[in-house]
Amino acid sequence: MNNLSASIPIGRLLRSATVGFTFGCSVPEPEVPLFGDFVKAPAQVNQAEVIGLIDDIVIEDDPFVRQLVAAPDLPEAYIQDQRQNRQVPIEVSVLTIGYRTDSTIVHALPPQPPITLDYVQRCPPDEIIAFTDSHDYLTLIMNAQDAPADELLTAALQRATRARPPEERGFFLLQAGKALARLLANDLTRLEALLRRIQVTV
Amino acid sequence: MALELNKLTEQVAGMGAALAARSNDLAARLPQARAALQALVGDDPALQHKIERALSLHWAGAIPTDEPAFAIFPCPQHPPLANIIAADGSQVYPDRHGIALYYLINTGSIIFRHGMDDAPTCASQPHLFYENEDLYLGEHLIQGALVDSQRDLAELREIARLTTAESEASPTLALLDNGLLLYLGLHSSEQRRSDEILRNYLRALREIEVTGAAIAGVIDLPRAANVIRLLYLAELESNDFEAEDLRQLGDYAQLTDRMLFSALKPGERSALFVNASPENMEQYMPSGHKIMFFYVNTGSAKHPGILRVELPEWIAAQPEQLALVHSGVVEQARFGGGFPYVLMRAHELAVVTWAQRGQLQQMVAGSMLRSGLSPTISRKAQGKQWTDRG
Repeated sequence: MNNLSASIPIGRLLRSATVGFTFGCSVPEPEVPLFGDFVKAPAQVNQAEVIGLIDDIVIEDDPFVRQLVAAPDLPEAYIQDQRQNRQVPIEVSVLTIGYRTDSTIVHALPPQPPITLDYVQRCPPDEIIAFTDSHDYLTLIMNAQDAPADELLTAALQRATRARPPEERGFFLLQAGKALARLLANDLTRLEALLRRIQVTV
Repeated sequence: MALELNKLTEQVAGMGAALAARSNDLAARLPQARAALQALVGDDPALQHKIERALSLHWAGAIPTDEPAFAIFPCPQHPPLANIIAADGSQVYPDRHGIALYYLINTGSIIFRHGMDDAPTCASQPHLFYENEDLYLGEHLIQGALVDSQRDLAELREIARLTTAESEASPTLALLDNGLLLYLGLHSSEQRRSDEILRNYLRALREIEVTGAAIAGVIDLPRAANVIRLLYLAELESNDFEAEDLRQLGDYAQLTDRMLFSALKPGERSALFVNASPENMEQYMPSGHKIMFFYVNTGSAKHPGILRVELPEWIAAQPEQLALVHSGVVEQARFGGGFPYVLMRAHELAVVTWAQRGQLQQMVAGSMLRSGLSPTISRKAQGKQWTDRG
């Protein structure tokens, strides 16, 4: 598979596992990642793309930064030096929600995780639309052990809705709501809260 | 089993008690030294005669200047716009147990534009030395002290290059993370190479002087006792003393200049002194780069942070340049925990981590393999790799 879209890399992979991966980037990257963004990384020697959702963003610190935090009236040049020049990356965690091989989209964990130092890219709208055309990936989000599942689910549906043309958004949300209702048939309180948040935030 | 820390418990406890006793002893003798400093008259003919005699005996003391030895100067106003430049170096020494003989010098630099919001300009430049003329002097492998001197020279050359490019627009201060005297090179037995490094070092100082930039070397936690030696010299009863008499300090033994000037208030500096070391008087002064120094408190009143700042005489002779050094060091230290920020950053840009050393060794091994060589380390080094874990 070699039809990676031309979106700009937003970081390089630090470590990975089948269920998720972590990449690093610095502040001036052209596209600063956001919680709930759909991202992708190559796997299996570019034979597949692992697709995931950003579920945590950690701004690393060190003793140097801590010492500056306490300084009164810190001039802008010091702040820009720390942000632009120092090798203190932002660590971004990603929950894997599927993968793609050629034109086949699979809403399941991939056979192999991405490899260290691979580029991570944000998924363009057409890929988000294709990936969220069915809602089986919601199961992986809701079952996530270490991610804030409901927050992530809300953010992911928000991104997927906005990727679509306005006339398709209502239908998409309706289908997503139905899928959630099936998954949370035994937890109506959680379902109600989720549906309300999706309506409010989209 | 390596270091059994449990067997050190008593020794460490004893060490702590000894350090406390030593600290109390020094504190008890410090007032006498401060009183002697207050009483010192720099242009007293008797003291001048003693200094002349001491200099002939290779005395490593301090020579008073026009500023009274006990004088204290508040921090002057920092210029609203200034270029603050720093360079620092790091080295990988030649390893005769390694896969090949080479050494590395990595120079980090930063140009900080005080008064502007832009991020500073940062750079690092590695240089690998592997030719025979780099590594050997006759049959002898280059000493670590000479590598250190070459690193110091690389730092100063980088400063010269940057000040030439930057100093026209705004007042420019260049800082180095060490003194300005190349002690290590001069103490080397490899005199020809040492002389060459010193010549180039003095040439780089001259290049910086021409640019109009100020330069200073900053020493944290200084252990020098040049001024203490001056106080001891002043109290000698006659001029009839020998070198041996100057190696002791009597009641001032183990006191340092840092202790002497620890009463400076935040931002204040001491008087200027000339470093009386033979290297300065015999090598730097004839070239027009006599090195002078002062002490400055970049800490707080409760926790003084005394730095030693060394500068050439052509900076000390210009009040506005001297003020730039003083205020620049204090201002930079405000955001570096008492040590100039730009020097911390230059060090960070220069440092070669152990992981990077390993990666460099792998690069060298790969290059050797591609050239048909079989890189091997010594059996001793191999043994260390097997056993030196954690």
